Amino acid sequence: MSAQQSNTRRLIRQTLTIARRDFIATVFTPTFLIFLFAPLIMGSFGAIGGLGALSMKQGNDTKDRIVAIVPPAEAAAMAAIDTRLRRIFRGRDERPPALVTEAPRGDAAARARAELQAKDYDVSAVLYGPLATPTILYGAQGARTADYLAELAEATLRAERSGGSAALSRPTKQSVARTKVSNGGKNQAAFFTVFGIFFLTLLLAGQAVGTMAEERSNKVIEVLAAAVPLESVFLGKLLGMFGVAVLFVGFWGTLVSQIAAIAPPGLAAALATIGPAVGMPVYVVLFFAYFTMAYMLLGAVFLSVGAQASTMREIQMLSLPITIVQVAMFGLASVAAAQPGTAVATFAEWFPFSSPFAMAARAANRPELWPHLLALAWQLLWVGIVITIGARAFRRGVLQSGSGKFSVKALFGR
Amino acid sequence: MTSDTLAISATGLIKNFGGRRVVDGIDIAVPKGAIYGVLGPNGAGKTTTLRMLLGIIEPDGGHRTLLGHERPREASDQVGYLPEERGLYPAMKAKDAIAFLGALRGLDLKTGRKRAIDLLEAAGLGHAVDTKIRKLSKGMAQLVQLLGSVVHRPDLLVLDEPFSGLDPVNQERLEALIVAERDRGATILFSTHVMAHAERLCDRLCIIAGGKRRFEGTVADARGTLPMKAHYVPHHDGDGIAALLPADAVRDADGWRFTVPEDGAEAILKRLIDAGFGIAGLSIERPGLHEAFVRIVGAAAQDDEADSLEQAA
Ligand SMILES: Nc1ncnc2c1ncn2[C@@H]1O[C@H](COP(=O)(O)OP(=O)(O)O)[C@@H](O)[C@H]1O
Ligand SMILES: [Mg+2]
Repeated sequence: MSAQQSNTRRLIRQTLTIARRDFIATVFTPTFLIFLFAPLIMGSFGAIGGLGALSMKQGNDTKDRIVAIVPPAEAAAMAAIDTRLRRIFRGRDERPPALVTEAPRGDAAARARAELQAKDYDVSAVLYGPLATPTILYGAQGARTADYLAELAEATLRAERSGGSAALSRPTKQSVARTKVSNGGKNQAAFFTVFGIFFLTLLLAGQAVGTMAEERSNKVIEVLAAAVPLESVFLGKLLGMFGVAVLFVGFWGTLVSQIAAIAPPGLAAALATIGPAVGMPVYVVLFFAYFTMAYMLLGAVFLSVGAQASTMREIQMLSLPITIVQVAMFGLASVAAAQPGTAVATFAEWFPFSSPFAMAARAANRPELWPHLLALAWQLLWVGIVITIGARAFRRGVLQSGSGKFSVKALFGR
Repeated sequence: MTSDTLAISATGLIKNFGGRRVVDGIDIAVPKGAIYGVLGPNGAGKTTTLRMLLGIIEPDGGHRTLLGHERPREASDQVGYLPEERGLYPAMKAKDAIAFLGALRGLDLKTGRKRAIDLLEAAGLGHAVDTKIRKLSKGMAQLVQLLGSVVHRPDLLVLDEPFSGLDPVNQERLEALIVAERDRGATILFSTHVMAHAERLCDRLCIIAGGKRRFEGTVADARGTLPMKAHYVPHHDGDGIAALLPADAVRDADGWRFTVPEDGAEAILKRLIDAGFGIAGLSIERPGLHEAFVRIVGAAAQDDEADSLEQAA
């Protein structure tokens, strides 16, 4: 074994020792559970918000009415047709308000107007007069329900003329699963991708800086620096947190795929329309690759800037601008995800720090594979550059014992 | 001496911090198997020198080899180091902390843990094997870290101010551990500003002050830089004694102290006997390392002052 080889092996071993320590120190703590279930917590906040909105809507719905002032014979037919038509609508958002029929008494027009002003419930539209030439009054929100009433009148009349309200046509219904993801589904997948990567890198880069702050305040850093080149410490920290990320992604990946497998068919079919353009297997690989790049790029920046600070307070102060930059990258990539092919998207795909996000979004939006190879090579180059500069800044920052002043000079040479 | 017989050899080490020269051309040669002390007052540049020798920081000038390696990092698995600023992960158990330090130097964790338990027991810390570092006293944590620096059985052990922060019992334990490491075959380099330990332990030592090396040699050599001191107790006290003693003689509780002239004390003693003062007690001995240190460092400070005055002029 040459000296070169044994040096490389030692470097790898040392890097892994650091990585292992950081991994264990992060994973075997109670706070890691919070971290692991953070998506669940976020999800449930979202769900609570959603429920709130839903219940408000329901509250409104139950008081909504449409009214048809028609003779009892027609009323029965209309109610039957209404019941049938209603099946088309899914969810309370789409379904028209409940139908109430009344027998005509006295001045139908005056009654209809009175209904629209009713106090106990909201009437959005009222129909009166003969079904062949009905008059439909509707309120501010009632344009669509007015159309529905018109359709109802038409259908009732047709049914009457063809003898009875029974359905004439007997359709054969066959459900066909969609094999291609919808465009909307691609966009949704793109957004989920960008958000997922963003969320993970933000959390993990913060964690890596946290362990480093701990080392500095515990003065462990000199022991590390004495035994291990700081470049290895730096890489080990990145790697350790990356291990945490893999655990995290693995955990949620398994969970989500299992949930999809046991989900009711309706939900599974709905989920199937949300999908990446490149196809699932390739997408998983690309997601992982881009996540790695995003993490390495941002983690390296976080770590090297974090190394310039000597107290927790300084680290927090320094973290803020980086987080802002990171959020900006996220925003840029989100725009790219929503508007594939635009100039903004192209810029986001090339700019090194947003490239992993934007390219992952592209994987969801567009099927070509070759740009990804190019992008990964390009990002790898930047990972190399950032890690080299970062490790150097890290070394300088870390060894500035005591004073711990932040200086731009420390980043760029002697 | 060649690199076969030297664990560390450095010549002309220089380090500047922000334009200030903190280490100014230091030479060090540590023979293999020796206990070597780097002595000096606070701020002398000891820590900086050790850091340069280990490759934690790069010198701005000079040349060094560590266990035969031009690049100190290449020897890192054969080196143990206790930094002046101690530090361990508070959440680690004592035995894991020791094993982790060993792992940094290439010892597998399993062996590390096994040895850690033995080491802790031998150091009288058997009860703390599974105690978290944050629950240990500062001195105990320091011992744990020290054990972590020897767990991989290094050829070279570098200790920066290892005695500071320890109570007398633990200081003695540490001295025993250093001797035991030397007997195992390791070379030990340690820094201190407390002379008593150095006097008992060191085979060789150097004294640095103001970033320069002011002395190099054995403890005896260092003491040899000072003349003998005599303590004389007269049989019959009287006014005329002072006139018969050297000019630096001072009176103490029961007699007189003076520096023995280069040609010996015989002439003085003969005069005292002839004058009838007699000799009730007499001791002549070399002053300790402490005095040698104070004199060497004091002289260095005067030199530096003279130099800076010269430069100013
Ligand atoms: N990283 C550093 N940056 C700036 N000055 C330093 C640094 N390390 C040490 N010094 C300065 O160098 C001088 C020597 O320090 P040091 O080597 O720690 O001395 P010793 O260990 O002998 O007490 C001190 O004046 C100290 O302030
Ligand atoms: Mg020191």
